[in-house]
Amino acid sequence: MLTEFGKVFIFILIAILFVIFIVYVAKLIRPARPTTEKLKTYECGENPEGSPWIKFNIRFYVVALIFLIFDVEVVLLIPWALVYKNFGIAGFSVGLIFLLLLGLGMAYEWRKGDLEWEKPKVAPPVVKPNENNLDKKKEMVEV
Amino acid sequence: MITLILSNLSVNIQAIYPEIILSLTLVALVIFDLIFNKQKKFLPLISIIGLFFAFIFVIPEFGTSRSAFPTSENNSLLSIDSFSAFFKGLIIIASVFVVLFSMSSNEIKSCPDRQGEYYSLMFGMIIGMFFLVSANDLILIYLSIELLSLSSYVLAGFVKTSIRNSEASLKYIIYGSTSSGIMLFGISILYGITGSTNLFEINSVLGFSNVPQITFLISILMIFTGIGFKISIVPFHFWTPDIYEGAPLPITAFLSVASKAAGFAVLIRFIEITFAESLSKSGFWQLIPYVNWQNLLVLFSIITMTFGNFAALWQDNLKRLLAYSSIAHAGYLMLGVAVLSDQGLTAVLIYFSIYLFMNLGAFFIVMLIANKINSENIDDYRGLGYSIPFLSTSLAIFLVSLTGLPPTAGFIGKLYIFFALVDAKMIVVAIIALLNTVVALYYYIRVLKVMFLERTDKHVEIEISPLNFVIILALLAPTLIFGVYFTPLVNIAKNSIQLLGF
Repeated sequence: MLTEFGKVFIFILIAILFVIFIVYVAKLIRPARPTTEKLKTYECGENPEGSPWIKFNIRFYVVALIFLIFDVEVVLLIPWALVYKNFGIAGFSVGLIFLLLLGLGMAYEWRKGDLEWEKPKVAPPVVKPNENNLDKKKEMVEV
Repeated sequence: MITLILSNLSVNIQAIYPEIILSLTLVALVIFDLIFNKQKKFLPLISIIGLFFAFIFVIPEFGTSRSAFPTSENNSLLSIDSFSAFFKGLIIIASVFVVLFSMSSNEIKSCPDRQGEYYSLMFGMIIGMFFLVSANDLILIYLSIELLSLSSYVLAGFVKTSIRNSEASLKYIIYGSTSSGIMLFGISILYGITGSTNLFEINSVLGFSNVPQITFLISILMIFTGIGFKISIVPFHFWTPDIYEGAPLPITAFLSVASKAAGFAVLIRFIEITFAESLSKSGFWQLIPYVNWQNLLVLFSIITMTFGNFAALWQDNLKRLLAYSSIAHAGYLMLGVAVLSDQGLTAVLIYFSIYLFMNLGAFFIVMLIANKINSENIDDYRGLGYSIPFLSTSLAIFLVSLTGLPPTAGFIGKLYIFFALVDAKMIVVAIIALLNTVVALYYYIRVLKVMFLERTDKHVEIEISPLNFVIILALLAPTLIFGVYFTPLVNIAKNSIQLLGF
């Protein structure tokens, strides 16, 4: 006989078949008149500009990591803060050591300059290079 | 559980003094690096002082047998016994040598601004290994394997600008995270079957109740995958040559010795504690017959040593050759475990303490030569025996010892393994292992042939600093002395096979 999971399995099966069936029927019924606008990637009504695969600054990841560490810290500290009184000085020092080590990590990031946001250097406007004034352009940049 | 630990906190804290010292050294290294970030040459000094004090606290652990950090009335997270103390000693000796290696490695010197990270990550590895060798609980085993692996992933790619390093690190992290994921899955299945993560509790559950055979076997094999990855036995060895070749040489040496030692320690403890059925007077372990451990381990070890030796025959890069040879050595060590007796365990411990010196020595000399000629290719070693006789002769001694020829210590290590095999009436296995040694002879001696019998016009000058000279002597001395006078080593090993609960 069917177990409880067997019923779930049949349910999943029916759900998958139903979706395939509906999509297929819709394809048969609906009119298909594609235009350029319809085929474009939808970007809230704007015309899409450039490739969506741009490079993110690696600093975002550093900030995300730091955020993650302190987020987890809070998750660990709240249960500790609720019960540490029951364990006396030992319970208190456990949390203290944990916080000190985290603080050390923070100090490390600070000292190593991971919290400073490097601004992209603004390139000075230069004359469009061609064969003749390539040397001139170099001089201009140095000036 | 918390109340159990806190009620006698000072006793429990005393049990992990070496680990606490190592953690404090790690913190000291980071703080020192942050405050005085110009004075890099003090960092190795701090590391060695920390390791020295940790060693002082490891010594009294010899001969003791107690548990720390109890989780219930009878069970605990850590077991402090002679076995773990022996491995902790080995790890500290290896770490001291690796710190000394790093001081003269060109690869490590090429990133002067990240020296602090280098030594503190190395201490992360050491702490992981320390907890690994004395862990009694699957969760603690998993956590310490992760601590060990995460630090070594970063260290394998320490020289960021070197493509070789980055490749090694990436490969290591992919293989490593997969295998530790599989291991965690196995642990979860085992917990589902037995209802506990403590090795002693699992043992008592297995003793009096039936567990589903196939599920159990799958979970054990999954856990075995995680440990087998660390000790690089054959189905799980694919990372070894690439990472050993790519990583900076001191880290390669460290991975091949210390990390392997910790892996073997946890494998032995896992098998012996989880599956022990009863104590027997003859020294052979009586294991619960859910898994035929002997056949399984013998199969793995024979495949491992045969593969390692035959793959090494075709290597042109000395680092890669040593990587395959370390796979083959893992096979020999597995044989010692596969005997499943006290004698076999003694042989493993003897083999490991000898393997430590000879393997570190070989890697150190390869590093010194690579510092100068920027290559580890065997072809570039042509004629080196005449231009740098001292280094070449030392390398020759280490390689002969790795082969296992009589006047050197490597012979004693293999001898004890074969003794244990013959005593357990595993003659066929012993013969296969002997034939493997003959294969190993070929590729080790080929290096010597290139160095001493082929002449070249190229002349290489390598100046050996007094420190490096002392390091080489310190590695040569045990390799030669243990070959003729090995009684003290054997006695220490015989006294160190005592696991908690036996």
